[in-house]
Amino acid sequence: MSELARIRSVGVYTPAFRIESESFADAWGQFDPPGIESKAVPDADEDALTMAAAAGRRALTAAGIDREAIDWLGFATTTPPLAEGALTSRLASMLGVPERARTQTFTGSTRAGTQALLAGSSFETALVIAADCPQGAPDETREHAAGAGAAAFVLDPDGAAILTDHGEYATPSPGTRFRRRGSEHVEEIDIGSYERRAFTETISAAAASVPTAGVTAAAVQAPDGKRPYRATAALDVASDAIRACATVHALGDTGAASVPLSLARALASGDHETVLAASFGSGAGADVLRVEVSDGDGVMSDCAVTGERTLTYPAYLRRRGAITTSGTDTGAAYVSVPSWERSLPQRHRLVAGQCPDCNDLTFPPEGACSGCGELVAYEPIELWTTGTVETVTSIGRGGAPPEFAEQQARAGAFGVAIVRFEHGGNTVSLPGQLTAEAAVGETVVPVIRHIYTQEGVPRYGVKFTPHTAHR
Amino acid sequence: MPNAYVVGAGQSDFGSFPGESYRSLFTAAYENALDSVSDELPSEDIDEAYVGTLGVGGRQLGLSGPAVTEHVGLDGVPCTRVENACAAGGYAVRQAVMAVQSGMADVVLAGGFEVMTDVSGESVRYWLGVSGETEWERLSGTTFAGVYAQMARAHMEAYDTTAEQLSRVAVKNHENGAKNPHAHLQFSCSLDDAQSAPTVADPLTLYHCCPTTDGAACALIVSEDVVEEYTDDRIRVAGVGAASDAVGLFQRETYTGIPASRQAATRAYETAGIDPQDVDFAEVHDCFAIAELLAYEDLGFCDRGHAGPFVESGATALDGELPVNTSGGLKSKGHPIGATGTGQVVEAFKQLSGQAGDRQVETPRYGLTHNVGGSGGAAVVHVFEREHERERASDTTEVDR
Repeated sequence: MSELARIRSVGVYTPAFRIESESFADAWGQFDPPGIESKAVPDADEDALTMAAAAGRRALTAAGIDREAIDWLGFATTTPPLAEGALTSRLASMLGVPERARTQTFTGSTRAGTQALLAGSSFETALVIAADCPQGAPDETREHAAGAGAAAFVLDPDGAAILTDHGEYATPSPGTRFRRRGSEHVEEIDIGSYERRAFTETISAAAASVPTAGVTAAAVQAPDGKRPYRATAALDVASDAIRACATVHALGDTGAASVPLSLARALASGDHETVLAASFGSGAGADVLRVEVSDGDGVMSDCAVTGERTLTYPAYLRRRGAITTSGTDTGAAYVSVPSWERSLPQRHRLVAGQCPDCNDLTFPPEGACSGCGELVAYEPIELWTTGTVETVTSIGRGGAPPEFAEQQARAGAFGVAIVRFEHGGNTVSLPGQLTAEAAVGETVVPVIRHIYTQEGVPRYGVKFTPHTAHR
Repeated sequence: MPNAYVVGAGQSDFGSFPGESYRSLFTAAYENALDSVSDELPSEDIDEAYVGTLGVGGRQLGLSGPAVTEHVGLDGVPCTRVENACAAGGYAVRQAVMAVQSGMADVVLAGGFEVMTDVSGESVRYWLGVSGETEWERLSGTTFAGVYAQMARAHMEAYDTTAEQLSRVAVKNHENGAKNPHAHLQFSCSLDDAQSAPTVADPLTLYHCCPTTDGAACALIVSEDVVEEYTDDRIRVAGVGAASDAVGLFQRETYTGIPASRQAATRAYETAGIDPQDVDFAEVHDCFAIAELLAYEDLGFCDRGHAGPFVESGATALDGELPVNTSGGLKSKGHPIGATGTGQVVEAFKQLSGQAGDRQVETPRYGLTHNVGGSGGAAVVHVFEREHERERASDTTEVDR
């Protein structure tokens, strides 16, 4: 048995919101994509990068390794929040991956997730994250199917799951799923037989060199709930093996995260010794991977999903920004990009400062110590832990600054709290938005969300989520 | 160090005035201040001017102080703009007192102005957040309504303060403001109106929030060396206290009080040589209903945590033992940011000189003004004393324009 790489842990994140296919059927008279019962919907302040940060945190926590050990970070998505401009280095900062680690971004194809997984195989300790939230025009099948989610993998030599074989194949198939330059909407020409042939023939060719015997779970690219099952012959697996780890029925089309999410599900379940992963990217190309789980404790994982909330179709359209206007004309509280950049350790990882003289904590760690009043050089302390709500309000429509007007139009009133963190017997407080309701005294945890976009630059930072809520 | 006296104070109408400019409003306030002086105060006597303004709506221009003093003909008079957010006006008064007490000036104009209603709602919300901590607090999605709502929530949690007690502040201040011909919102509101109004930032409803307002106010501060040239009815600036603090609420030692207000009050009482119970009436910074309750405690009018029952008891009503915000306060009279602090001094002057019309307090000796910047990044407190005891409210007619 060859060994390309070992998977040590997996982490999964899916947004809290779901919409049932029946809600689409009520609105449109029909729901086109087959085999999707519900799908995940990102909140107004979530995108591929925030979901990647959440999944990446989970995989790192499950792995129990020092983040300093990470040599390489790969980020795969077909929906990067910026068309140009490195986002993976920001992801590294959000996760505390050391600056010496190499970073690489994979995009432009739903195959990007498996491409990142394979690229990570070349490194001693790698973090691979696929996150996606495709969109289509409101009346298109692609939009009806479009879901969201993220899966992350820590690869290292001690991993329990061994990537044993890999095959890939590419051939020109123009007109299958594509997104025009400058557009946010994926499209397809909708020539059913042509697309199905591209899908099955490409996967079949990629699978030619990969042994499929003994496979009990097959993670197959799922643009809808029917397409992956067309690959049974190409992969020589049973429908049940595909169903065993399919996520499309509940989460929808998760693009580049589709196969990684299913693979993560198969590995996290602990029920499968041999798993196949088969991705397809339009254009067209495919990767097929074989993964064998060795004896022992299996793959460490953090994939728990709780606290889903169901959206109505109008609420879904608002969240999507399909019926809201965007942008502000009158300017926001201006925080220059260089000022923002200087505060990234705080925005991304809640780095406070501890006074070397009196041990008091100060956030942000600048200016005179809040305890002794001296200008000191602070010791950095990361507060990425649970905090307690000290006070809270809910900002109604009239109360939000204009830079949050779009978010409020899409997601409604939001909570803003002051949260107290403790470290070594000292406390420090900081303000932040809540992603779900929390009362005074309640325990919350930090999450990375989109704060706002200014001068075209999306800015990310910490918000807080109740410990008991979905995260 | 010579004592400082208020010999005149006046304001423009507070409200929404599409036909007025910040200069025309300032002119009205200036003329009313001059007219309020018992004996004539020729403009040539003015040695110095301090003008408070935030500059809402793009008026945050260089030289916005001289722009108004020059407009009223005070060419040549040194003018300095004072910016301390909503406490700009109160700090302009303090600067005037310091100029007099330093001996550098005998007659000083302290003024303030703001025009807030000629911009879109979105633009107003932008401006309402510029005086807070912008890098963290504002980017959590709050303007001041949100920050004061957090203070209200903390006070409710700590002391069982109720939404109804917040509403009683609004009801009281509207009742007073309805008697003030210069007030922005000259109508009374019922407890039910305040309770059932739309939520702005939970637990604060629309009636727990002051309006945005256009207006200007001026006070004339003079030295004891010249006070007798202008009046026999001497109103002394008996106490001055000011303090600053962290701009962001999350950076402060408490959310259920404003430490800068406490420090400012302590210093003002010390310099005046009085205790809180000596105060006969007060104009406090009630930008939100919770702010007035916090002020009761920070200024020592009641014990900590007792502000809710204190307002409920009627103690701060016009006929109570310590009338608060007889002018209507920021809530009803209005809150033209830079003019608010000087506007409070106008009310104190009227009350102490017996010119407060239908809302006149019976023979007050000590009046207090309390002006807060942002959510507590700056605070300034003044105590004014009428030196000669008045036997009874002799003139209850407001005579200014």
